[in-house]
Amino acid sequence: MDKVRLLLTLVTIAIVVVPLVGMVLAYQDNLVGLFVPPEMTEMADDFMGGEGTDGSGLEPPTMVGEPEYNPATRTFSISFQFKNSFPIDITIKSLTGNIECDEHRFHLGVASLSKPVSIDAGETGTLTVLGTWTKEAIDHFENLHGDEELVDAVLLDFAVDLSGIQLEMDQGQMEQAIQVPNPALME
Amino acid sequence: MRSILTKFNWFALAGGATTILLIAVSLVYPWWQLKVGDDIMTVNASPISMNLGFLDTSFTIPFIWALNMISIFSLLASGITMLIYSVIPRKSYSKHLLGFGYKKPLFTVLFFVIGLVATTMICQAVLSLNIPLMGSTTSTLPIPFVSGITLTVLLSAGFQWSFWLAIVAAGLCIAARLYHTRVVPSPSATPAK
Repeated sequence: MDKVRLLLTLVTIAIVVVPLVGMVLAYQDNLVGLFVPPEMTEMADDFMGGEGTDGSGLEPPTMVGEPEYNPATRTFSISFQFKNSFPIDITIKSLTGNIECDEHRFHLGVASLSKPVSIDAGETGTLTVLGTWTKEAIDHFENLHGDEELVDAVLLDFAVDLSGIQLEMDQGQMEQAIQVPNPALME
Repeated sequence: MRSILTKFNWFALAGGATTILLIAVSLVYPWWQLKVGDDIMTVNASPISMNLGFLDTSFTIPFIWALNMISIFSLLASGITMLIYSVIPRKSYSKHLLGFGYKKPLFTVLFFVIGLVATTMICQAVLSLNIPLMGSTTSTLPIPFVSGITLTVLLSAGFQWSFWLAIVAAGLCIAARLYHTRVVPSPSATPAK
């Protein structure tokens, strides 16, 4: 009876000690690796030191093609090319932001993504942004940019939904320079 | 009929079998699962197997893996001793087998739940990250070394059916301990001849 009790006690000790000691011996040269596997640090490095121009894995989108404008609805569309420099496929489900006149810092309207876009890792995708000018914006274009065909503006205060993760940038954090067709000359 | 009922400890037989089944099931199905965003990150947790999934990549933390091994061997030993005890409950050493086996599934469930609650509380206190134990919530994540950017994610978590199987296994093992007094009445309870 005592032999059974002793055997069970030894089994209990062995069950606890053998895996722990074995693992510590296996990682004795790299104890940090016991808690943070090397694959995890490699992936974190890929994200933090991506191919982006700022080293963060994020490249600003570049405007492509001519912006379009519909005077009847005061809506416009602008297309951008965006390179996914992250090591994973992403889906941009939504993107919203404000548009301001670059010269006068006057709020012109809001812009949002026309439809969700999926971009594979390392690939480039096209994002089409739709926006609507406010009535005040039309007046601003008429009064202060009456003779300009294209007006310099900035897209700012982004809120992006990346595969269910929402990124919101505070004022002045990231601005995307764009040129918009002057609605005052198109009506 | 009564002798068949008390010849074996049926609760121990069921508890031992369920415990061994639980090990096999838990290798595939986690006890608790956390999903971040649209399955961007998944945490599959159980005392038997725990891994972090980031899209198509899965990580296992070596220290946690060692703890998983302890749980596997511990539950396996518990299941085997409960099965052996269930068919020989009246041997002199049977109570030692029962004592060794019946507590382990219960302690495994308790340590898992306590560990899970402690982890979510530590995340809340240190990172201000609100991780739900069950249900969904949106939480704001801190981004190290970056200011002016707010990162908000949808976190969905819940206990899976394998967790409830673990509770059943623990319950059967406790029932086996209680039923032991029916199988082997204490000497004071035996009527005098």
